[in-house]
Amino acid sequence: MLVARGIFQLAARRGVHTTRILASTAPAAADASSGDNLILNFSLPAASIYRNKPVASVVIPGLAGEYGVTKNHSPVIAELKAGVVQIVHETGQAPEKFFVSGGFALTHANSVTDIAVVEAAKLEDIDVEEVPKIYAEAMKDYNAAAEGSKEKVEAQIEVEVAKSLAGALGVALT
Amino acid sequence: MVARGMASEKEIAARMKSTAGINKITKTMKMVAASKMRGDEDRLKAGRPFQKWVDGFTPPPVLLEDFAKSLDKLPQSNLLVIITTDRGLCGGVNSSLARVMKHMVPALDKEKKDVQLFIVGDKGRATMGRPLGEFITQINSDSGTPYNFSLAAALAQDVTQIKADAVHVVFNRFRSAIAYEATVKTLYPPAALTGEPYVEYEFEPDTKTEVLDDMYEMAIATTMFTSMLESAAAEQSSRMNAMENASKNGEDLIKELSIQYNRARQSRITTELVEIISGASALEG
Repeated sequence: MLVARGIFQLAARRGVHTTRILASTAPAAADASSGDNLILNFSLPAASIYRNKPVASVVIPGLAGEYGVTKNHSPVIAELKAGVVQIVHETGQAPEKFFVSGGFALTHANSVTDIAVVEAAKLEDIDVEEVPKIYAEAMKDYNAAAEGSKEKVEAQIEVEVAKSLAGALGVALT
Repeated sequence: MVARGMASEKEIAARMKSTAGINKITKTMKMVAASKMRGDEDRLKAGRPFQKWVDGFTPPPVLLEDFAKSLDKLPQSNLLVIITTDRGLCGGVNSSLARVMKHMVPALDKEKKDVQLFIVGDKGRATMGRPLGEFITQINSDSGTPYNFSLAAALAQDVTQIKADAVHVVFNRFRSAIAYEATVKTLYPPAALTGEPYVEYEFEPDTKTEVLDDMYEMAIATTMFTSMLESAAAEQSSRMNAMENASKNGEDLIKELSIQYNRARQSRITTELVEIISGASALEG
């Protein structure tokens, strides 16, 4: 939970307002039997990005490593780390990428996958130049905070998120 | 001069003035509530799908009145999270919850079941603080509106630290601009689940108990967040209706008062005329 809140604050500070654009996706009719697609529900507290959307596959950043989900995947409950959710809408297409904070992903036996995260932003909407600044600031906070304090942990979360963000965008951090 | 049991002209005029003043306030409050409701409705519409991931593994929400009728099915220790409002003048949203609680909580206590109350909203403190004070473990009020997920997450952390076999989130579900219903959503902590929970699922990472604990906290935060959104929209809709009724009453009152005022004025004039005429005829005579 602390992870989730840490990134939430970070996201709020960053001020990426993608949620409004994303909310425009109208709920499509749920049809679990539609070809080789799984049904995706991808939602945030402030918006629903996809609701009952048939997609070919989705790659989820689990705490224990990234994993992909396709139709008829075995049921799995995963805790997520800050990372990239990749949604392949149709086989062969380039994935749509979202950077998400921590959260949960539940894949049910009926090929429905629920992803619930605290914040998400389209990867291409993130300002590449801001990332090293966030990282530098987080590192400064981290080094300044007393060992074992709450601030230390929060700063550590920010550092990890910034690192993960940099990795996703291919930005080099100094 | 003054008719029996009737206020003087001056008094009626003063009452008309103050009623008109109050009327202006209620009308304004109605309009403010209507516009706030639109915002709360939008947030609710955007937030409702977020609840869906929790609904898959929790019992469906029940109406508070049905919940209060089947108390014998509750486990030994219960935590009631009651979402009320911070501000008043919003019709019966808070009192309807408090009324049920005032019956239900002592009834549970009588059956030797543990009850703890976790109250969100200042009006919950005002209505339940005195009669149910001994059961209240925490009150959170005036956290500012609109509610956000950070607040829900912080409250959820407090909720998960309270030991109970079941957490019941009690709130007003927004149905439409003119209707809301008191609803209960129940969640069970992983420790209270019997047998092997979620046996058909794999866990990532495979430290199942930890994942379940975290998931439970996230589920509480999610449920509290969407409940707070529902409650906020219900509050504004109820306030809008309450203020609409108050404005209508005020207008009726003003109408009645102005009739009284005119009658009093007319009777004064008539009396004066009679006095003048009878005075004049006395001089003539």
